[in-house]
Amino acid sequence: MSLSLIRAAAAAVALSATAILAAPATALEIEHDLGKTEVPDAPKRIVVLEYSFVDSLAAVGVAPVGIADDDKRDSIVPAYSEVIGDTWKSVGTRKSPSLEIIASLQPDLIIADTSRHEAIYGALSEIAPTIVFDSLTGTYEVALKAAETIAHAVGKDAEMAARLDEHRKKMEGFKAGIGDVSDLSIQFLIDNGRGIYLHSPVSYNGSLLAWFGFKSNMPAPDGHTYPEAIVQTSLEQLSEIDPQIILRGKYVDPGLIDSWVGLPLYDNLTAVKSGQVVDVAAHEWSRLRGIIASEVSGANLVDVMRQLRD
Amino acid sequence: MSLAVRYALLAAAVLIAALLSLVIGPRSDVGLGNILHLLFVDDGSLARSTVVDLRLPRTLVAGLVGANLALAGLALQAVTRNPLASESILGINQGAALGVAIAVTVPSLMIVNLDVMAIIGAIAAGFLTFTIAGGLTGRLDSIRLVLAGVTVGAFSFACVRFTFTLEDNLSRLVLSWVSADISAVRLAQAGPLALWAALGLAASLLLAQGFNILSLGDGASQGLGVDPRRTRFLGALLAAILTGASVAAAGPVMFVGLVVPHLCRLWFGQNHRHLIPAVALGGAGLVLLADAMSKLVRFPYETPLGTICALIGAPYFLIAAIRARRMA
Amino acid sequence: MTGTATVALRRHRDRRALLLIGGAAVLTLLAALWSLGVGAVAIPVDVIVNTLFNLDGEKQTYIIMRSRLPRIVLALMAGGALALSGTIIQAVIRNPLASPGIIGINSGAALFAVGMTILLPTVPQTWLPLAASLGGLTAAGIVMLVAHRRLLSAAHLALIGVAVGFVFESGVDYFLITSSDAERSAPLIWLTGSLWGRTWDHVGMSLAPLAVLAGMAMVLAYRLDLITLGEATATGLGLDVGRQRLIMLSVATLLASVSVAVVGVMGFIGLMAPHIARHLIGGGHRLLLPLAMLVGMLLVTLADGVGRAIAPPIEVSAGILSALIGAPFFVYVMLTTASEQET
Repeated sequence: MSLSLIRAAAAAVALSATAILAAPATALEIEHDLGKTEVPDAPKRIVVLEYSFVDSLAAVGVAPVGIADDDKRDSIVPAYSEVIGDTWKSVGTRKSPSLEIIASLQPDLIIADTSRHEAIYGALSEIAPTIVFDSLTGTYEVALKAAETIAHAVGKDAEMAARLDEHRKKMEGFKAGIGDVSDLSIQFLIDNGRGIYLHSPVSYNGSLLAWFGFKSNMPAPDGHTYPEAIVQTSLEQLSEIDPQIILRGKYVDPGLIDSWVGLPLYDNLTAVKSGQVVDVAAHEWSRLRGIIASEVSGANLVDVMRQLRD
Repeated sequence: MSLAVRYALLAAAVLIAALLSLVIGPRSDVGLGNILHLLFVDDGSLARSTVVDLRLPRTLVAGLVGANLALAGLALQAVTRNPLASESILGINQGAALGVAIAVTVPSLMIVNLDVMAIIGAIAAGFLTFTIAGGLTGRLDSIRLVLAGVTVGAFSFACVRFTFTLEDNLSRLVLSWVSADISAVRLAQAGPLALWAALGLAASLLLAQGFNILSLGDGASQGLGVDPRRTRFLGALLAAILTGASVAAAGPVMFVGLVVPHLCRLWFGQNHRHLIPAVALGGAGLVLLADAMSKLVRFPYETPLGTICALIGAPYFLIAAIRARRMA
Repeated sequence: MTGTATVALRRHRDRRALLLIGGAAVLTLLAALWSLGVGAVAIPVDVIVNTLFNLDGEKQTYIIMRSRLPRIVLALMAGGALALSGTIIQAVIRNPLASPGIIGINSGAALFAVGMTILLPTVPQTWLPLAASLGGLTAAGIVMLVAHRRLLSAAHLALIGVAVGFVFESGVDYFLITSSDAERSAPLIWLTGSLWGRTWDHVGMSLAPLAVLAGMAMVLAYRLDLITLGEATATGLGLDVGRQRLIMLSVATLLASVSVAVVGVMGFIGLMAPHIARHLIGGGHRLLLPLAMLVGMLLVTLADGVGRAIAPPIEVSAGILSALIGAPFFVYVMLTTASEQET
């Protein structure tokens, strides 16, 4: 080959290489609950302000650098910490995270909750591109969709697609293990010592249980605001709802329900009479809300149903 | 109409309010038709359990809280010679709420139990109000008292509201507590309240004549050989204790101590010996009615008792303030 | 005393007042600088200087320029506005325990703002100052209407104000308890007077209105002096008392309401700052207003800083801390002042 041709070829290669290297890193446009935001390609330093987003990241093997953990490190359960490790920094409570700590972590992506962080969306956006999903009042289906979008934002579409496939198979497996429960009414509730809060059909747990085929005796509300999803209930109201199975998550021990043992109104609840009141881990069920969390709940339920059927 | 007849009518009204409070609720198997039967006949039914285990304690607590707070308000009005004084306006209610909020948020600071914390908070707030208004140095300036009370109350409540911003669980506890939610009270809580009410009633009756004399003015008191400061101090202490006990049991309920003595004065006159039983009955009746309403307003959801009383009492206070003629 | 002696005395007093004002300004500046350095991430002075003046060396641009500086500017603005508002109200109502909260402004502003957030969630937050101002004006308007109709004394007006305040407060509590929930912090945090999550946008929303209102307040200084002499005297000196009262209270209401809109309810600045200022120099509003304004600025800035420094990353609301910081001094002043004359 002549020298001039080699020189021309070299120049062409050099030019295209420069062009490629000089091209700006592609950014993604992500659509979320508060609009559309441009997110950098494959973000490395992610701060998440709800547990369900930890769940989404752990599902595809991405570790955030900052988590709003309510100032309790062990609220990040082993199922997550096995994947994301222990080097992440706490940014404060989910309700009012410290903007300064978030900023000091120099994130390139922040994932926040719609109802909790709407008021500080502006401030968060100044620190880093912020995407927002409904974790607090969203259903199981909404949680899965959010996980998908988050995976897309961090450039793990393929991994998430595979994970969701695996998830569906697992969940179908749990469903089979649970069996046909279309005539069984179930109710998940939280007991914080001073009141009980029932998770209605539009809540995460309500919709998850519906997915497994259970029915619910609670009326389905019109909207999905927080008070409609998590309903404070008295013993009297509970006796009217009268589910056949009660899944009880206690934040304190002994809970309020324990003080009701002995009251005829409590003892005569269908679930109590037939010994179908089961204690489940309150934190895992109520607060985590994600792919991994729902698999844990599913496995839980299979065990519960097996026990109840014996 | 003679005094006895008036008492009888008031008592009847209270009973009706109590019945309403007992009858209204989510369960449909308890109604006006069978309520009396359910109260007195143990037929082992669920309806009976609903009434006796759930609704009766709540009704009792509501009534007793009403009586206590009304007595407290009457005492404060006598002691400050201000018809607009009440435990909410002088910040005592809010101080008690702060005491409990501190106990709930920082359990290590709790002294004995919630009741005591509430009473301590009530006394501290009352003391602060009186001090700022110049109570310790001598004459109690009427408008200054109200303004001081509002300031102390607002400050206490701001601190309580701060705890709402803390971690979810904690804030939910304090919030449910501060809104005076009595939907889960048990009979055991009604016991101490009944004790306080009985003591409060007795103490008020003992102080009744002293209150009467106070209203004549300091000069008249000394002329009659009664030390006004002792009566004032005892009256204020009584008010603080009754308020604290009520707040510890049910949370802060506002304005009862303002509305009830006012209304009772219209019907029973100014003599404290007659007023005291009337006010106790009237207070019970008012809060029982509020309890019934709290179950009706957003049926089937409940509205906390404290919210209902505030919505009734605040406009009443406004009207009373507009029409107030005597300021000192 | 001869004429020249009186003049000399007054000049001395004025000079003292001016020194105090200067001192307060310096203190406020120092407090602001200190406040820039404290918080969840402690920042040393040299980094602060580098960031502020864009010098070489370590900088903390986000935290200082976008998080703390707007907060401090807002703290200064709100503190000054509330203090001015309180000074005016105390002069008009002629009672040392009066404050913007007393004539129901805080509660009115809070109700309309919380109401807007809950009933009209789609309306953007930038409308909040307007809603709050409407609320404050409504509450104050009710109070003044009633007072005017019935020719009430200043003391009685204060009482009505308290009552109106309670009515609006019950509304706020009702909203909070029935429509909202413990998990959404924004309305709750804001209600306790906090600068959490405040940005330059909030500064932008409130700068113009507050600057204009503050200017108007200063202009009113002479008339405020006249009003404190008593209705009869003021009228005798040619002042249309009724109308002036209305103007003054309107300015005070707007000052407080706009503050409430951006930082929430800080009920104690408007009460304490005028007191402290009066205790230091007393008397003429021409000098009292600026000093009170500076005291207010100082209180809120300190409160915000301390609130962030106490237990990071938890932030204690500036509203509460400002009360805690000022309360002992306030109680002391109350105890040592003879009870004021009022009609």
